[in-house]
Amino acid sequence: MDWLQQFLPLNEGRLGVWIGVVCTLAIYSILYRENPFYRFFEHLYIGLAAGYSLGPLFADIIYKYWVDPLLKGEWYWAPVVPFGLYLYFIYNERYGWVSRIIIGLLIGASAGLFFQAFSSRYLPQLNSTLAKPLWITDANPDMVISGVINNWIFIIFLLAVLTYFTFSFEHRGAVKRVATVGRWFLMIGLGAMFGNTVMARMALLIGRIYYLLSDWLGIPVGGG
Amino acid sequence: MQTERKSFWDRLLTIDRRWLYLALFVNIVVFLLLPLRLPAVVSGPVRKFYNAMERLQPGDMVMVSSNWSASTIAENQPQLEAVLRHLMRKKVRFTIMSVEAQARDLSLRLAQRLAKEYGYEYGRDWAHFGFYTDLIVAIKGMTNDLHDTVKQDVKGTPTRELPVLQGIQSLKDYKMVIDVTPSGTVPDWISYRPKNLIVLYCPTSVMAAEAYTFLDSGQIEGMLTGAKGAQEYEQLLGVVGLGTRFINGIQFSHVLIILTILVGNLALLMKRLAQEA
Amino acid sequence: MLIDMGTTGGRVLMALIVLGFFVLAFGLIPLLQTLPPQGRRALIAIVTFLAGLFFATEFFLPLTEDDKNFLTPGVVPAQRVLQVIGSLALGLGTYGLIRLHLRNVVQKRGQWGYSVVLMLAFLTMATFSIWNTLAEKKLVAQPEFQKRGFTLLFDYTLVQLDASMFSIIAFYIYSAAFRAFRVRSIEASILMFTAIVVMLGIVPLGAYLSDHLLGLPTQVSPEAHPFSLESILYSLRLTEIASWLLNQLNAPVQRAIEFGVGIGGLAMAIRLWLSLERGIT
Repeated sequence: MDWLQQFLPLNEGRLGVWIGVVCTLAIYSILYRENPFYRFFEHLYIGLAAGYSLGPLFADIIYKYWVDPLLKGEWYWAPVVPFGLYLYFIYNERYGWVSRIIIGLLIGASAGLFFQAFSSRYLPQLNSTLAKPLWITDANPDMVISGVINNWIFIIFLLAVLTYFTFSFEHRGAVKRVATVGRWFLMIGLGAMFGNTVMARMALLIGRIYYLLSDWLGIPVGGG
Repeated sequence: MQTERKSFWDRLLTIDRRWLYLALFVNIVVFLLLPLRLPAVVSGPVRKFYNAMERLQPGDMVMVSSNWSASTIAENQPQLEAVLRHLMRKKVRFTIMSVEAQARDLSLRLAQRLAKEYGYEYGRDWAHFGFYTDLIVAIKGMTNDLHDTVKQDVKGTPTRELPVLQGIQSLKDYKMVIDVTPSGTVPDWISYRPKNLIVLYCPTSVMAAEAYTFLDSGQIEGMLTGAKGAQEYEQLLGVVGLGTRFINGIQFSHVLIILTILVGNLALLMKRLAQEA
Repeated sequence: MLIDMGTTGGRVLMALIVLGFFVLAFGLIPLLQTLPPQGRRALIAIVTFLAGLFFATEFFLPLTEDDKNFLTPGVVPAQRVLQVIGSLALGLGTYGLIRLHLRNVVQKRGQWGYSVVLMLAFLTMATFSIWNTLAEKKLVAQPEFQKRGFTLLFDYTLVQLDASMFSIIAFYIYSAAFRAFRVRSIEASILMFTAIVVMLGIVPLGAYLSDHLLGLPTQVSPEAHPFSLESILYSLRLTEIASWLLNQLNAPVQRAIEFGVGIGGLAMAIRLWLSLERGIT
């Protein structure tokens, strides 16, 4: 009886768990077949998600960076929102083009910022590649033979895959053979991504099943 | 006219997918309930992650960039929980920020729950900076002037009045940033951070394979790969968290998938051989 | 140069300034409408170029001893402007969604009942969410029913629905793995073999199988020669193969992809900055 009292939605916490379970099973009902129960909860989810985002958007951004400064007398921030609202003309056939002024602002800023990204993100990787020792010398006495072999494998793989991705000219002869090998090497990277993707998706499902077993049914889960 | 009887392999290849869904569901339930706990072999990236965290000193400042929503809660929550436990255990100051709307509340609630366990006080030991739409300009702004960029924490307190930010002028005064994310935010941290800021990465497993190039170049110092990475990290910390509880389900679902792929290919092969015969 | 908001005059002045900018912004539109198409493209291109020029120049200009140049003080205000405009852009998605479903309801299109559910959920959650975030900043009161209502909507409903919605992908991946993953070529074989090794090698089961099924050594002494039998057998452990695969084979592949993306990204960034890309501006 104790277990039953703890199981049933007799207090707010348990009611919350039961609501979560209903939501979960409603979404999972699509796996059996299309049904109105699923559609209802799907639309509920979209509405809640869209509505939720307005809170942080308004309080953490609009209020903090626009309303609050204006309330403190910083009048020079006033134009930001009125001109930012040009974005909402995108749905208007006649005036839709004015939204591209603000979109252009965002795109221009992103483009201008990319130079720093290129310098900080890609050049260190080039540096790291070029710095890999390919033989043991006095300059790197701690290097071991297995490390050297690994570095050679690294460089060969990198160059082969880069050859595969070079589309500026037609692949012929030796270049075509290298590109084919590069494509095989690329499959290794994709296989690693596939394996990790499977793990990720399984983990998300396991999280839900854990919720059903542990939070709802109260069964000890996961190796005791 | 006689209808051809379908062979076993034909029927297997055209099995209703709902039986497959049920098989996966049952597999996970069975192995989650299994009272078995295999020790993790701690991988290199997790070991480096742990070592980087261990080098932090009490009073050091760390930025936790928590950008996950409930859609990846099963992978990112164990990671964030383990990371925050380690930070609090080491008496490190930290601030949290989010570029995903839900992440704001999810990380705030999680940190508040753990803070009670470790006696951490909001404002004195940790703070939450709230939600930002644009991570890149936020990083650039915080690198130049943190207080003018952030202005106030999630509770509306001006950052200059927060004791936890004493002596902090910008991101240059932080030791480390830990990015817990299901999306491609770590390249932004790598690209725009101050040069001395160490980057640690907690991606979902989907994003992990792409990050090995950053690990190789040293742009990321350590990485926890999804719930599996959280399990290894929990083992190093000596705690039993969600990563440890999920791992049975993860590894035996992998076995099921591998067997399924092999059976699917075998069925096709047998069907072809039968047709040729 | 701030307005004194402590006085009535100051507050009225601020209200007039804000209203004035709204009037200016929307009043400017008919004027902008008179621009010919080339003029409109030029205006957009100029705005795009100036926005990019600021950040590009700020990055390229040499820094003084305190890590700044004359443009660096402009980064924080620029950050604020972009955050606000970014939030309006995010709101645009919500606006489009609501616009669509509102139209469904008004015009009673097919399955408009679900659109009513969506609209009600949206309005309720928006109210509670904005109220909650403002109450956290102590700008409005937070009665108990508001706290519980937000917990009900966020923790008990939205979080559970969001997690469930993305978890069903696992079922589809499993079903697709059975029906569609066919080893018909060298490439598919390599992909499958790698995926199997990674899936088994990165979990504790891989170590268990290496220890108990294959009987491989669990460690190797530091003095052992790299090509000794002990080292070779150790390196055949599933965990070691998976680790080597990820670090030594997968990493260069990902780097090659990064280089391709980086060069392509740089080219695209320059094209976008100079408005050479048609269809965008």
